[in-house]
Amino acid sequence: MLKNAFLMLISLAIAIGGGGASVWYALRIQDGVGAIRIGQWTAFPDIGTPAADPYSKARVAREGVLALGRAEGLSFVAENDAAGDQLKRECAYRIEGGFPTARFWTLYAADRSLGVVETGKSRLAALQSYEVLRQPDNSVIISVGHHPMPGNWLLTDGSGKMYFVLTFYDTPIASSTGLSDVSLPRIVRAGCDA
Amino acid sequence: MRSLHAALRRLLHAVLLGLVGAGIVHIIVLLLVPDFSERDAWSRLSMASDLYRMNRLDAEAGGAPVVKSVDPLFYATACRFDLEEGMVRIKAPGDVPFWSVSVYDRSGHNIYSFNDHTATGGKLDAVVLTPAQMIDVRKDLPEDLQGAIFVEAPIDEGIFVIRSFVPDESWKPIVSRFLDQSSCELQDF
Repeated sequence: MLKNAFLMLISLAIAIGGGGASVWYALRIQDGVGAIRIGQWTAFPDIGTPAADPYSKARVAREGVLALGRAEGLSFVAENDAAGDQLKRECAYRIEGGFPTARFWTLYAADRSLGVVETGKSRLAALQSYEVLRQPDNSVIISVGHHPMPGNWLLTDGSGKMYFVLTFYDTPIASSTGLSDVSLPRIVRAGCDA
Repeated sequence: MRSLHAALRRLLHAVLLGLVGAGIVHIIVLLLVPDFSERDAWSRLSMASDLYRMNRLDAEAGGAPVVKSVDPLFYATACRFDLEEGMVRIKAPGDVPFWSVSVYDRSGHNIYSFNDHTATGGKLDAVVLTPAQMIDVRKDLPEDLQGAIFVEAPIDEGIFVIRSFVPDESWKPIVSRFLDQSSCELQDF
């Protein structure tokens, strides 16, 4: 009798503990269902829409996100550089290449919570497409780092994990058909502060 | 020996049962999170202000932002509404480089979005209403609603967000004023 109760207790503990913990874990990881990957960049075009999968819906409810609509724009997040290493705030990077069609785009360096990196200066760790210098072939080269750089410079500060968030506004790629042949800029590490 | 074997089998049985149960609990919890979350956008906004009140989402207005507005080059403002009390009209005066508007339902799903290219002359003037209210309005469209964008949404409670682009420092006061002067009110009909 006691043995049966003990076995039942084990079953229940595994069921409730395991079930709850697996949901918590699934909602914490950045990657997930419904992600679209282009190079190092990841987007969730369905997040925040009624068509989203249950995981995205739960994440939206838990984090209080108000996701961009299709007519507004589409955000891409990068976690790794082209070599597959994690982006770090103490390192310098070069973001280079062409950008897909959009009315404009913004790029910023983000911390773990995807908020903009605090620079402690009046200059934001963000750039937008109206202010960048372009190459003759319309591509853009952006230098990212702590130290001022010629050309386009995205200021970062601090140390630890970093993300890049690239958002295109009023863009045809936000409709899912446009996403298949989009190419996004490469992220190359240029060096690190020791 | 034999009894140990039996006990192990029963333990294995219990663990397997637990794993199946974990799968079921996983699905149930996942589906219940949106309904029971007290951290969703609606709950956060309702703690900050009343229905039909515009509420800045960016840190510029002072204090921590109520709902994380993601892009640092954007300002945003939001208001909650309840269509059961009537249709709601959103207006904002002035010219800014880019604005976009999203209508969210109670659980934060984006129902409809549009931007300044959709609007007549780039002026933000929109009405959110239910399909039933739309039928009433169609019968006799009031003069001052002629230029408005009508958003038919099959919801009752919802959130309305205006986002506006701040290209550089010099635009900050202009965009701020644009959002602060925006209004969100019940429209009599």
